[in-house]
Amino acid sequence: MPYFGSEETVKELKRALANPHVQADRLRYKNYITKVIRYMTQGLDVSALFMDMVKASATVDIVQKKLVYLYMCTYASDKPDLALLAINTLRKDCADPNPMVRGLALRNMCNFRMPGMPEYIEQPIVAGLRDKASYVRRVAVLGCAKLHSLQPNTDIDGSIVNELYALLRDPDPVVVVNCLRALEEILKDEGGVVINKPIAHHLLNRMKDLDSWAQSEVLTFLLRYRPRSDDELFDILSLLDAFLQSAHAHVSVATLRLFLNLAAAHPAVQADALLHTSAPLLATCGSASRELRFAGLCHVQQVMRSQPGLFGTHYKRFFCGYSEPSYIKFRKMEILVELVNDENVALVLEELRSYCTDVSPELAQAAIAAIGRIARTYSEKCLDILTGLLALKQDHITSAVIQTFRDLVWFCPQSTAAVCQTVEACVDNPQDSEGKQALLWLLGEHGEQISSAPYVMEGYIDGLKTELSSAVKMELLSTSVKMFLCRPAETQDMLGRLLHYCIEEESDMCVRDRALLYYRLLQRGVEETRKAVTGPKSDPSMSVLTGRQEEPISLWASTFNTLGPLSGRDLCLQTDIISASEQPSSSAEEELLPGSKDVTLSSPNDTEEEISLSLGPPLSHETFEKMWLDLEILHRQTLGFPRPKTAADTLQAALQLVKIQTLAFTPGDTVPWKAYLYTRGTGTLILAELLQEDPDEPGSEGSLVVSVKQQPGNQHTIRGFVAILKSVLQTLHFDRL
Amino acid sequence: MSASAVFVLDLKGKVLICRNYKGDVDMSEIDHFFNLLMQQEEEGLVCPVMSHGNVHFLWIKHSNLYLVATTNKNSNASLVYAFLYKLVEVFTEYFKELEEESIQDNFVVVYELLDELMDFGFPQTTDSKILQEYITQQGNKLEVSKTKVPTTVTNAVSWRSEGLKYKKNEVFIDVIESINVLVNANGSVMSSDIVGSIKLKTMLSGMPELRLGLNDRVLFAITGRDKGKTVTMEDVKFHQCVRLSRFEGDRTISFIPPDGESELMSYRINTHVKPLIWIESVIEKFSHSRVEIMVKAKGQFKKQSVANNVEIRVPVPSDADSPKFKTSTGHAKYVPEKNWVVWSIKSFPGGKEFLMRAHFGLPSVEKDEKEGKPPITVKFEIPYFTVSGIQVRYMKIIEKSGYQALPWVRYITQSGDYQLRTNN
Repeated sequence: MPYFGSEETVKELKRALANPHVQADRLRYKNYITKVIRYMTQGLDVSALFMDMVKASATVDIVQKKLVYLYMCTYASDKPDLALLAINTLRKDCADPNPMVRGLALRNMCNFRMPGMPEYIEQPIVAGLRDKASYVRRVAVLGCAKLHSLQPNTDIDGSIVNELYALLRDPDPVVVVNCLRALEEILKDEGGVVINKPIAHHLLNRMKDLDSWAQSEVLTFLLRYRPRSDDELFDILSLLDAFLQSAHAHVSVATLRLFLNLAAAHPAVQADALLHTSAPLLATCGSASRELRFAGLCHVQQVMRSQPGLFGTHYKRFFCGYSEPSYIKFRKMEILVELVNDENVALVLEELRSYCTDVSPELAQAAIAAIGRIARTYSEKCLDILTGLLALKQDHITSAVIQTFRDLVWFCPQSTAAVCQTVEACVDNPQDSEGKQALLWLLGEHGEQISSAPYVMEGYIDGLKTELSSAVKMELLSTSVKMFLCRPAETQDMLGRLLHYCIEEESDMCVRDRALLYYRLLQRGVEETRKAVTGPKSDPSMSVLTGRQEEPISLWASTFNTLGPLSGRDLCLQTDIISASEQPSSSAEEELLPGSKDVTLSSPNDTEEEISLSLGPPLSHETFEKMWLDLEILHRQTLGFPRPKTAADTLQAALQLVKIQTLAFTPGDTVPWKAYLYTRGTGTLILAELLQEDPDEPGSEGSLVVSVKQQPGNQHTIRGFVAILKSVLQTLHFDRL
Repeated sequence: MSASAVFVLDLKGKVLICRNYKGDVDMSEIDHFFNLLMQQEEEGLVCPVMSHGNVHFLWIKHSNLYLVATTNKNSNASLVYAFLYKLVEVFTEYFKELEEESIQDNFVVVYELLDELMDFGFPQTTDSKILQEYITQQGNKLEVSKTKVPTTVTNAVSWRSEGLKYKKNEVFIDVIESINVLVNANGSVMSSDIVGSIKLKTMLSGMPELRLGLNDRVLFAITGRDKGKTVTMEDVKFHQCVRLSRFEGDRTISFIPPDGESELMSYRINTHVKPLIWIESVIEKFSHSRVEIMVKAKGQFKKQSVANNVEIRVPVPSDADSPKFKTSTGHAKYVPEKNWVVWSIKSFPGGKEFLMRAHFGLPSVEKDEKEGKPPITVKFEIPYFTVSGIQVRYMKIIEKSGYQALPWVRYITQSGDYQLRTNN
């Protein structure tokens, strides 16, 4: 940034530097040079002084030399012709008896980023590689990489590469690592430095001499090496074992990454390594530096993708501190959601509840969303909290709660009744557009359960002129049409007004087109519209139940300990709200497409047999046993696939979702495996047994067999029941493959 | 790792000093950094990694400075952060305080250090003790080419120079334990742990071999001894000088110490500790008129021990005025710029209980901004005492010349992150 008077300043400096009296007084001379550098640092263009500065490099004062070199490096690319003049001095310094001076000169000469340099620096670099001072060798080795980056398209100099490979055996550890770094840069196009067996073993033995930076990098380079045999692999791993607990977080994480990649074929070893590093990882999550804490949390999240239980007992470590920055709090909340189990759910919810009233609206909303995620498993407790939050009458909280309700109903249909009741009782409507959309969606999908729905909607239709967001208008259109289908008498008039306004007066084309679409659809008749508009009311993929599956380690091991996980999906909970808010409306789009019905729970060929099941009053074990013995098997069917390998409670929850109660089942992997279920449908009670024989036994194909008993008998209901049961088990089974 | 360039920026985003190591990222990219940061701050979504195009900014903040590393590779993020913190550490050791002024006043040394710390984007010599041997702040004095490569730069033992001499050979060992406690508003302890560290101040001649004995439970189990109190340490980390293989093998902590001050090891103990100073508080806020605060502090440690320099910080609303205090001991002070009351007690004996009452006025016109609920924080120091009961059993010092050296041991327990949430 040249400012007024800068030219004067430069001229003055030039005069001073050229003044023989100043040059004679070393101290004054140096002060002027320092001044030049100060101006350079402040952004003043002092490149006009280049010649005078080159002269100043001929000095015995090493600090002055450094300053002049710095100056030359900065302006060399602007003044290539003048910079060439400086090269002689630099080359002379490269032969100085003092290794500090040699190193300094060589390093700076290599930093001149201008064409024509290679021919001057190649010889000093080669000489530097053989220097007896390791300080110079360190510089020379990296100089090779700089030389290559100056002329990226020329052929690789084989002799230099060979020399660098030879220097991997240098006694100085930094030279060794610099060699790796340089070779990696030079051989970038050929896949980087080659790590063969002798090199790998050499590096492994040198590990303990290296500083922590070098250790981290060598561990990364070793990722490239594949041990020949398991014996070698285990030897390597036991050599590295101590580094898993290194004092430096980055070393222990780098070691873990190497373990995970090398032992890809040995899940037990991987699991053991993860167990060993859980303590250092947790320690990083409590590190004094926020950024390292953040990185630690990201690593924990990655590990949890495969080993969700690893940090279960340490959930308290992920409670947020008051002064922590929000990016850490967001991550911690994401982790807490994953760590919830029967024992800690009360404490975790209490903790999250206290974040909901945070001053930062983003944080509060993320906390509410987190409670919403937990609600998919522990609906009741969470619904209580969320309902309680509505009473605070804070706009951003109300909006987030309503959005959470919308997602909850979508994923957990069993909570619909409770949500509808709460929404009914809630007097304040959300003020922001996301909240409005969520409320409208809820009204549209479950309008028949919310008696005040038409009045709320009427309020929105009356205020349409002042509504700015077209997304809200679109949602309002969908809601009105859906509501019209279930409560025509109350809504016909307002739907008419809405369509009229949107078609005649609306300026946003998307809204207008949507209104026209609904208008034409309604012209085709109510039944046609119903077919097109109504779709599944809950997530048909049952992602709630299968979402928490463990991923194989290999999925993330390759990006572990890199920048990716930190920046890739930033602030997940936040995007969760957004993506989820898009979800139902995009499914609304899908609903308009014919054929999307196949994704519904009952597969298409059963559609005419669709029955509604209900749980009814619970059945005691004794009653079940008695009835099971009394009744006869009415239907037996081989399902054609083995039992899903999900955890027992997942299976139980999945069946409960379709209103089938599990009464008892054999634990774990015991064979034969059995489960007893019951449900009610079309006025009958259905009892069923799932049986899986030992797959090794002749005659059984390891497939599930279902036997059904019923009272009173109704073949139609049995077929419907079996179809539903089959589709649930199938979903779980294939999700686990 | 490979950081392309390192920048030091002031709070307005102006570059104070920078160093282009690799030349593969345009130096003007840094102009986007501050805009991105401002944008994220506005959205309340600040993140320590930011990207503009294919350039990533990894940044940390220290006092009134931003330290930013740029990279265009998917490099190891924690390594880059560790390096930036290393920069802070080295600069702080050179200038005492690292802030805008000290950077501007010492730009020559900063340039020199940046030059040695990293080359072509790779960390080189980062140990500040070694750097201090050949980069000095007195560099401005004219010295005629006296600078030599210090032996440490090339030494086998990179953390210690050869040929050190002391008249009196001594080692001071400080065992310091910090307690982290989080208590929620209902008074139940949410989490607590102990972070311990053993610090050395070494004043020994030559290249001595040291061996440290602790009452470590694992060691006692190995050797079959079972007397006295033992401690199970988790998550033990050592200075690079400690021979890890020996520790893994027979739990011996043996090492050649760095000269001067250093941290030999750190550990964490994850047991449920009783909060040493227990606080009960009642904060009653009467809108538009006043706030009444009652705080009761109790020393829950041995009667013989005394906690020194106890500071209990109680949050008050930012618009509070006209403070009035009453304390049973110590004195209370209102710190309006931090919105808290500090109740300081010079010495707080174990088992004792003290009380403070505070009264504040509130303006009749309330301000709109919502305030958070900051916790009560406590600071203290208890000498001659460790919560975990860890003890130094012996320190053996062996040097070729066979001199006698004295080890001195000191124990301190202090507060770490010690927070008690309030109900208000």
